[in-house]
Amino acid sequence: MTAPAIRFGLPAIILVALSWGVLSLNTQGVAGRPLAFSLLLGAAFGAVLQRSRFCFYCNFRDLIERREASGVLAILVALAVGAIGYTAVFGAWLPTPATDRLPPTAHIGPVSITLVIAAFAFGIGMAVSGSCLSAHFYRLAEGSVISPFAILGAAIGFGIGFLTWNPLFLTITSNAFIFWLPHHVGYDGGLLLTLAVLAGLAALTLWWARAPNPAAAVPLSLREAVERIFIVRWPAVTAGILIGAISTVAYFRVAPLGVTAELGSIARTLGTDWNIVPSSLFGLDGLRGCATIIKEALLSNNGLFVIGLIAASFVTSILAGQFQPRRITGKDVVRGLLGGLLLGWGAMTALGCTVGVLLSGIHAGSLSGWIFLVAMSVGILVSLQVARLFARRLV
Amino acid sequence: MNNFSKHVAALAATVAVAVVPTMVMAQDDNPLVTVDWLAENLSDPNVRVFEVSVDTGVYERGHIPGAVNLAWHTDLVDTVRRDIVSSEGLEAILQQAGVTEDTTVVLYGDNNNWFAAWGAWVFDIHGIHDVKLLDGGRKLWEAEGLPLDTATPEYAASTIDLPDEAAPLRARLTDVLDVVEGGANVSLVDIRGPKEFSGEIFAPEGVQELSVRAGHIPGAVNFPWGGAVNENGTFKSAEELKAAFAAIGIDGSKPIITYCRIGERSSHTWFVLNRILGYDVRNYDGSWTEYGNAVGVPIENPTGTVWGRI
Repeated sequence: MTAPAIRFGLPAIILVALSWGVLSLNTQGVAGRPLAFSLLLGAAFGAVLQRSRFCFYCNFRDLIERREASGVLAILVALAVGAIGYTAVFGAWLPTPATDRLPPTAHIGPVSITLVIAAFAFGIGMAVSGSCLSAHFYRLAEGSVISPFAILGAAIGFGIGFLTWNPLFLTITSNAFIFWLPHHVGYDGGLLLTLAVLAGLAALTLWWARAPNPAAAVPLSLREAVERIFIVRWPAVTAGILIGAISTVAYFRVAPLGVTAELGSIARTLGTDWNIVPSSLFGLDGLRGCATIIKEALLSNNGLFVIGLIAASFVTSILAGQFQPRRITGKDVVRGLLGGLLLGWGAMTALGCTVGVLLSGIHAGSLSGWIFLVAMSVGILVSLQVARLFARRLV
Repeated sequence: MNNFSKHVAALAATVAVAVVPTMVMAQDDNPLVTVDWLAENLSDPNVRVFEVSVDTGVYERGHIPGAVNLAWHTDLVDTVRRDIVSSEGLEAILQQAGVTEDTTVVLYGDNNNWFAAWGAWVFDIHGIHDVKLLDGGRKLWEAEGLPLDTATPEYAASTIDLPDEAAPLRARLTDVLDVVEGGANVSLVDIRGPKEFSGEIFAPEGVQELSVRAGHIPGAVNFPWGGAVNENGTFKSAEELKAAFAAIGIDGSKPIITYCRIGERSSHTWFVLNRILGYDVRNYDGSWTEYGNAVGVPIENPTGTVWGRI
């Protein structure tokens, strides 16, 4: 058990630093307020991710291998709540969807074979490195020895993505199309359809899963409440509702949720400075998604969001006594770098990751989000199958 | 009657005196409205506010209540050929926004009204001659902490009819060549940054529209557009502007053509010189991306930068 001075002192220091960041950015007026808000949102997102272990890959694997439904249910609830929230915002911003317009800045991305390949590669990257990018960020705070290498690998993967972007764009991606559900069936139809598919998936999940043993009901005392907030994993539905709500608020105030824009931006800036990455990427400005631009300012909304995410997950993780690093092995380094490489390449080429394309995309009613979900799941399943074959052969 | 009032409006604009009788006479002879005036007159059905911002998504996340959004890269241009929106195109936009002959049209935007001024130029060309800008634009409205709304307003459609003939506020390449090669007595004002003007760089970092030659149109004087605004985003006073332009030989004694790289920033200077100072000004929206790419035209390139030379 960690010494109390560290267990409570470190989170306190991080919280003070976070608060100072928010307050000082807030005093910078019009330019600083969105940055402060992004930092806060990132912190909220990080805290929820860490407390509920909202990890796309781990949740999916738990369902496949252990027949545990709660993690996947959390994702489905998050998708449903966010879809409702987004529809409410869209109604105010673009009262009629039946035009050639799209709601501004929403991650309504292009659908193409490139997206399928990229999401498939991303799925393999998740299986190899043990989680997707958003989860690697919060798992840094749990002392994961793979995550630092996965993030490094992802930055390199982004660089490779920039190199392959132009040829891919010219051969495949330029034929991509945008499919926004409300354009075809209206806001109500789009939302109903989304909720129906999610309900179907939830039913399928529960059918496949084994019901957990019911936990003995403990009366809610102050001690029990503290335990449930700070130590025990948050319930799936609570986590899903919170993620959906954070996603809606983020879109309403700043931009859709996404965790790779800043990473991609750093990779592109470095790559351009070193003359490795082509200076112009065809069609990127016309496509929606976590577009990656050359950095102009040190502080960006997405950068602060990710900083807030990591900082807050350190707070909750240390408080819960879940910062538990183990000895690094060569295998960790290889898995991290290799998996990260695929994550980065996939995220660049798909114009986002599980959060940007899948979560924010499905919230927005974009077909690209669903395609990413399916191709990524296939990538994970194939990887798990291959891993099983290897394991058998080794025995 | 319609035609008559349009004639009157056209005449009024040329002498910079508006005569349209509305409830909001107070600022009618002024091309600018103040944030205080707009805040007080927002509920006036005869006032219609449009936002023209460079950044996508700023309008939706908070705009002046009741303002209609105009996307500069789709609403105000022809999306196929390089041209501003047609008279019919703008007419449809104005009808949908419920603008009538009696409406006071106010434009505002981010970045010191940069694209809002371009919008005003487009509106003026198509017959909305008394279009006004919100002095200080989005920047001042936000800085003053005035209320913002996120809902998109919908208005009952109007039946406004715009004239087919465009107002002569636009210069074409041939007009510019008349000055450079034909000796027409017109001043050229280049409002790009000094490094673009001198030819040191082809375009500011990160922009996509380029010219393969650096420098400026022979005879042009340089007045970076940002020099016309105060720190809070408002325009400098007419006296200050008059003096600043007089210092570089632009005093309104002869016609003026403004240009920049793609014609948007120079609309800001067009607004200053034409609407605020009342000079005879045309904006050359082909600007440097047309002129600097044109074959065989004279160019001044003081720094001698050569395209493609390493």
